[in-house]
Amino acid sequence: MADYEALRQAVITGKVAQAKEHIQAALGRGEKAQAILDEGLIPAMDVVGQKFSRCEYYVPEMLIAGRAMQAGIALIRPLLAEGGGKPRGKVVLGTVKGDLHDIGKNLVGLMLQGGGFEVVDLGNDVKPERFVEAVQKNQPNFVMMSALLTTTMLSMKETVDALQKAGLRQSVRVAVGGAPVTQRFCEEIGADFYAANATGAVTKAKELLPSA
Amino acid sequence: MNRQFYLDLARAGHRLPIGVDLVLHEQPNPEAIVRDGQALGQVVAETARRYRTPLAIARMDLQIEKAVLLEILGVPAAEAAHYHFPTDPGAAAVARLAAGLPPVNLGLQAQIDAVGYIAAHTDLVPIGMTIGPFSLMTKLLKDPITPLYMAGSGIMAEDDADVALVGRALELGLRVILFSVAAQVRAGAKAVFMAEPAASVVYVSPNQIQAGSDIFERYVIAADRQVKALLDRHGVDLIFHCCGELNEYMVRQFTTLEPVILSLGSSRRLWEDAAVVPKHIVLYGNLPSKHFYSDAVITTEQVEAQACDLLYRMGRAGHPFILGSECDILHVSGSGETIRKKVAAFLGCRCEGPRPIRRYGEGRGTEQDTPAQ
Repeated sequence: MADYEALRQAVITGKVAQAKEHIQAALGRGEKAQAILDEGLIPAMDVVGQKFSRCEYYVPEMLIAGRAMQAGIALIRPLLAEGGGKPRGKVVLGTVKGDLHDIGKNLVGLMLQGGGFEVVDLGNDVKPERFVEAVQKNQPNFVMMSALLTTTMLSMKETVDALQKAGLRQSVRVAVGGAPVTQRFCEEIGADFYAANATGAVTKAKELLPSA
Repeated sequence: MNRQFYLDLARAGHRLPIGVDLVLHEQPNPEAIVRDGQALGQVVAETARRYRTPLAIARMDLQIEKAVLLEILGVPAAEAAHYHFPTDPGAAAVARLAAGLPPVNLGLQAQIDAVGYIAAHTDLVPIGMTIGPFSLMTKLLKDPITPLYMAGSGIMAEDDADVALVGRALELGLRVILFSVAAQVRAGAKAVFMAEPAASVVYVSPNQIQAGSDIFERYVIAADRQVKALLDRHGVDLIFHCCGELNEYMVRQFTTLEPVILSLGSSRRLWEDAAVVPKHIVLYGNLPSKHFYSDAVITTEQVEAQACDLLYRMGRAGHPFILGSECDILHVSGSGETIRKKVAAFLGCRCEGPRPIRRYGEGRGTEQDTPAQ
């Protein structure tokens, strides 16, 4: 049975070159891309998330680890597609209209990728209609919205309403997060769940969409 | 001005919100006002009078200096808010700034003129506003955190283009900030409120600091010191603000800038910070004003209780303290009255001894309040 501990450690410590070497070596030994993802990269990002939750890691360490994870995924993505591997789910992600903050959103995207999800990142300052278009185009399982200002979080409700108006609301679960956002606000605007941080968002997404 | 003025305000039990945005959005035309220095100055003056404070703190717009910098470098105004340097703009960009900055943009001119209005037409203390150089740098890069971490790991600018870009962006931002601050000082500012919201554990890893990296000093404090030096040359005071998530090391580092007031966000326990902040620096804050918009999150009664609890604890800590908001209190459409009610509550609440308090964010979902110790 293949041992991916060295790969996991490379990702956890953010060593891009080492992570790529371990992956290339594994592929050279005939190991499957899906196994590298499921037993190497995803568990590594689980550990990263746990370290963050325990305040052993901060945002910089998460981003550095995420960078190594993304480098690994880039290597195996073509092979995953060839092998018929499917992502766990698909998420459309963005910071809402008028808001340029994206660190939290980027962290959520990283952790979702690390959790086996396909992420469509719309960036920041995303108008409701762009979220709607992205849902129509990508048919995601989740829409996840981030806002860091009390003045911009109201766009979250506009987006929920836009999805409703477009007849898409029932086809997707809507999550919200960001500094001024609360569980109560989530309920008030008709979103499905609130996540206090990136690891919470991924945990909830996995709970709602367990892998086969 | 002198430090004693602020200490006296604190000892007199002064309270104030950072509240220009609330008053601004009571006007019929806020977008026009922020481009009109006299009108903006009148709003700043009205804010100070309404909240019965001598401190006429300028409007907190932390986008201005980025807009000015990018305008000078030829980036269209419509793109400024979203713009990030794709690569190091090089020494040529520095030369363009060093050659002399052109007429300022409307937003900055209005800010400058508003300070001038306060100085010329009121008896209030005109207080300018600027973003800090580190925080401005973070707005100029798509991902500033990764190269900062790399720099903290010992990777030099000559070895990595992204690390070099961080240094360049910091250099460019600092130059524009010095220009902005100097202009506000010339207009009559007696103090400048410098906001460094990014100087926090989100952008700078405490793990690296603990491992001995000087990254916080190198990328945050060193540039902030240059702004302080400019202010010192003109006898102007520094009010330093960071509402980000901090650790004690960062708070200590901020005190080395010798601000007259240190304003911190609601994640801090100011009565604990009092132990590491010299007593000649007034602490300001830090009610959770980012959640004032919702009674479901925090009620008016809870705001009063937290205010009294904070006053009690700071009194016991024996540290000069001005009660206020954790940051600029933004107007939220549909919640204006809710927010104003809470501002009025903490400004006006009578606090006699300790009151039972469940501090915001603590013990939620429990029925039992925790008496203040």
